[in-house]
Amino acid sequence: MTTPTAQMVRIMIDGMTVNVPKGTLVIEAARRVGVMIPHFCYHPKLKPDANCRMCLVEIEKVPKLQTACSTPVDEGMNVRTATTVVNDAHKSVLEFILANHPLDCPVCDQGGKCDLQDFSHQYTATSRFTETKRVFQKEYFSPLIETQMNRCVQCLRCVRYCDEVMDVKALAPVGRGTMTEIKHFGFHPLDCEFCGGCVQICPVGAITSRLSMYEYRPWMLKRAETICGYCGDGCQMTVQTKGQELIEVNSAHGAGRNNGDLCARGFFGFHAASHPQRLTHPLIRRHGALVQVTWEEALEYVADRVNEIKAAHGGPSFGGLISGRCTNEELYLFQKFLRMAIGTNHIDSSARYGHVNGLQAMQLVQGTHRWTVTFEDILDADVLILVGTNITETNPITGLKVKEAVKKRQATLITIESLEPVVDTMSNIANLSHHHFRIPTSDTHHAIVGLVKAVLEQNLTQPDLAQRHPTYVNAMTSALQQISWQDLQAATGIEPDAFVRAAKVAAGARRVVIMAGQLLLRSEQGYSGCLTLLDLLLLTGKLDAPGCGFAPLAEENNDQGAIEMGTVTELLPGAQPITNDTERERIAKQWKGELPTDKGASLIEMLERARVGSLKAMFIVGENPVGSLPAVIHAEASLRNLDLLVCQELFLTETAALAHVVLPAASSLEKHGTFTNTEGHVQAVRPAIEPVGDSRPDWEIFSALSILLNSPMEYAESKEILKEIRSLIPGYSSLGPTPLPPKVDHSAVDRYLTDGYQRDLASRYHPISRASRPDGTVRLELAQSLFHSGKLSTRSKGLLQVEGSGRLRISPSDAARFALSDGDRVRLSSTSGEMTTEVKIMERVPQGTAWFPSHFGQAAVQLFECAIDPITHVPSFRTATVSMMKVA
Amino acid sequence: MTFVEKYKDEIADILSRYPVRRSALIPLLYVAQRDQGYVTESAMQEIAHLLRLTPPQVYETITFYTMFNLKPVGTFHIQVCKSLMCALVGSDTVIEWIKTKLGIGPGESTADGLFSLSVVECLAACGTGPMMQINEDYYEQLTENKLDRILTDLRSTGTSPLKSGPFMWPEPVKT
Ligand code: SF4
Ligand code: SF4
Ligand code: SF4
Ligand code: FES
Ligand code: FES
Repeated sequence: MTTPTAQMVRIMIDGMTVNVPKGTLVIEAARRVGVMIPHFCYHPKLKPDANCRMCLVEIEKVPKLQTACSTPVDEGMNVRTATTVVNDAHKSVLEFILANHPLDCPVCDQGGKCDLQDFSHQYTATSRFTETKRVFQKEYFSPLIETQMNRCVQCLRCVRYCDEVMDVKALAPVGRGTMTEIKHFGFHPLDCEFCGGCVQICPVGAITSRLSMYEYRPWMLKRAETICGYCGDGCQMTVQTKGQELIEVNSAHGAGRNNGDLCARGFFGFHAASHPQRLTHPLIRRHGALVQVTWEEALEYVADRVNEIKAAHGGPSFGGLISGRCTNEELYLFQKFLRMAIGTNHIDSSARYGHVNGLQAMQLVQGTHRWTVTFEDILDADVLILVGTNITETNPITGLKVKEAVKKRQATLITIESLEPVVDTMSNIANLSHHHFRIPTSDTHHAIVGLVKAVLEQNLTQPDLAQRHPTYVNAMTSALQQISWQDLQAATGIEPDAFVRAAKVAAGARRVVIMAGQLLLRSEQGYSGCLTLLDLLLLTGKLDAPGCGFAPLAEENNDQGAIEMGTVTELLPGAQPITNDTERERIAKQWKGELPTDKGASLIEMLERARVGSLKAMFIVGENPVGSLPAVIHAEASLRNLDLLVCQELFLTETAALAHVVLPAASSLEKHGTFTNTEGHVQAVRPAIEPVGDSRPDWEIFSALSILLNSPMEYAESKEILKEIRSLIPGYSSLGPTPLPPKVDHSAVDRYLTDGYQRDLASRYHPISRASRPDGTVRLELAQSLFHSGKLSTRSKGLLQVEGSGRLRISPSDAARFALSDGDRVRLSSTSGEMTTEVKIMERVPQGTAWFPSHFGQAAVQLFECAIDPITHVPSFRTATVSMMKVA
Repeated sequence: MTFVEKYKDEIADILSRYPVRRSALIPLLYVAQRDQGYVTESAMQEIAHLLRLTPPQVYETITFYTMFNLKPVGTFHIQVCKSLMCALVGSDTVIEWIKTKLGIGPGESTADGLFSLSVVECLAACGTGPMMQINEDYYEQLTENKLDRILTDLRSTGTSPLKSGPFMWPEPVKT
């Protein structure tokens, strides 16, 4: 890492002077003055390996040519990159490489963007080699990635990427010398994270994507720079198309918050939008069946029904639910439409499933609705604390930041995760952890409490906190005295000493970032767990220290936007509480109307009201409560009770199938707008293809309806909505390269320290009661899988090839206990229901626990009870004790 | 019984000698090879697990070194050095002789399962080439005549007085 204080040196490159920090590699210094030194094995993301010898340059006073990719600059260095000697060297290196290269460019997918082609043109290298070329046996490599080893230039970029960046280590150079080829394990097909990184980083056509094989030449494709719609990391990607056909996705090195890295979902998941089952026409229910109609008919029908119901029952008999897959513009317009055109505050979104827990905790303790840190702070952190994240599978790119911080920048990693630290086919963050608290998800809170207790007992609290806020510190101290180490150890299986060691490391560090993931956020302790983590930062004086902060990870790509656009019940646009009268007035004035006065109902409350009949109509956009909520909520019965259910969807989901009107919506690959990522960075979404069939962007649908309902919200394009958002939310983030995080609001902190903490101190810090699980049962948890996220991944043919169905992940010891082997079928039953599924044995699963991938969890969901957080109204249904039995 | 169970004590001893766990890879692969005559896939997986490596990493190591076999070899594993020094003094001819006498090329075994032939990189006997290693013994300054005698001896007695001794293998320091 180059520190800002690094000494600058002055060097000459081809006669040009350049000032760079000492230690910069010659190849990078040259790049700064526009000199591109040819290279294969060098890549700025990887440690120099200097194996290909392509980058040789002359350095004055050094007798032999040097590799620019591994030579650091020093004061006064004089480098020449284009002398006859250098050119000759480049030519001969190319000649060596071409000696074995098949030159099958006409059938190679890399043709047109291949470094070897480009350099060969540049140096007109020819080969005097007349012997036969090496030929590797063609082998099946994997469902998504293809290798053609005859083309390999043996630069090992793929192997190094998979190890250094991904920490997966799925690729290996096999054999020796010329006959080295890149393989997985023997003849086994590749089994890995399928991040596509090796495909992207290979300088030639030796590793390519099967999804776009033989489909194109680069110059035939149209490109759109946009943001991935699968998770809150918000990766920038380039979607390449031929007409309406989606061909390939990649991400340029250095692009976006992801720095050009993608995960399997981003790289291989793009076909969801062109799935043949996309809804292409509006549908209306007639005589019980959904039939195709025109947009005019559908919209007029909706408007008529809305007018009737509104006249009979009033605005508050309506409710709305929207998904975080929508753009900010759509989320904004949705709530404006519901509040102004319909007259209801019953608005909620997918953020309710967990993100709201982190939000409310941040608002209470530090008065922000966003992280106070950015990805850069994760990279620069001295100590990172991960709590319930399973980050590799949920937020893979944030995970890469953590890996980089730990592997390259020596950060200390503390993890409170249910993962066993084992090496298998996917990276496992617990393997990099220095203090790993392996604990079942449902007991996560105990481990956080352990850290807080250690901080208080070891006097690791910020010295003047006790003076400024004695009541807070005393209350905390006495609350934690109630909890004995003995009980904590019994509940967590972790020695008190381990907590003390980790607490000391965290308290002693300068830059500490705590990340909370879905496993915590979506659990019953989601809200309290976040508060306790914030207590930890407060007590150690890190809450407002530079580079420190709390970072709840968003699951859906625009959950953060949903909060900031006011599409959660408790908030207005700008994440202002709906109870804030000045804000209400300000917004009403801008909107030139009156805001409804009712207290909004959250998702579960809306469903309850629908069930008892006081809610008459709902607009559901991109959400599928019938498929996602456990049976105990009776979502289907509730929705069936409605007089009007309007769904805007890409596919006919279980929920849409119940609707009176289904309106086909355009996917994020088909529209303009913005997404706000988990860090709170607002990024531009651009269309790669035209809306499929007659589908339309969601905002256009709200706008069209508003006109029919006589409270017109007309916009020529989504940019105009963004303009309105900016006028309403002062300074709503610019689209710059790096987000500017908000600062901790000290008056909010003071309020929290004075009395805010009291609200639920007792419920968070209470003596632990021990519960034991009966024999023959396992703790079933819904967990996210790397290959599926968001609303659409199960429609992506690429991702389905890697994971096409849900299999119950169990530990080897439970497999032995229940006499199960891979692929056996089991019946799971709880008091709420039962299901049958196949098992998959995975060593990372802790004993006594079984994970079911949430994206195939519709049957599993029925086994869960549902707890509703009394403060945040978040429904949680992630863990259940179930009995497991082998079935034939 | 798994490989790791079978050689529990020996493995523990090997592991105790290396402060960095993965350094024990090659010694463990030797144990696995001694067991089956070649390194089986399941042994690779067990060793990977034991050393916290991925199976591809273990596979990479095995394929880099010529002394590890990935498939069964004959009772006598002939390994002819084909690196530069030996090549200059006729290692190609040695390989040809073997081909004619035993009817096998590099990577092949005789039908009776007695002999297998490999060509390998420098075995550090460059001054006395052409040379070969059979199982753990070196045979140097080979001539056609010598080769005939070696093959006959091996067939009849399982060993040959023409060997110049086992290649050096550092014994652990006994304390
Ligand atoms: S796709 Fe697989 S093999 Fe390639 S870099 Fe990613 S994890 Fe490694
Ligand atoms: S496959 Fe590509 S990246 Fe990997 S070593 Fe070969 S040329 Fe380099
Ligand atoms: S799913 Fe998330 S991590 Fe993966 S590419 Fe998309 S935004 Fe990035
Ligand atoms: S790029 Fe410098 S040696 Fe390969
Ligand atoms: S070259 Fe044959 S032993 Fe060294």
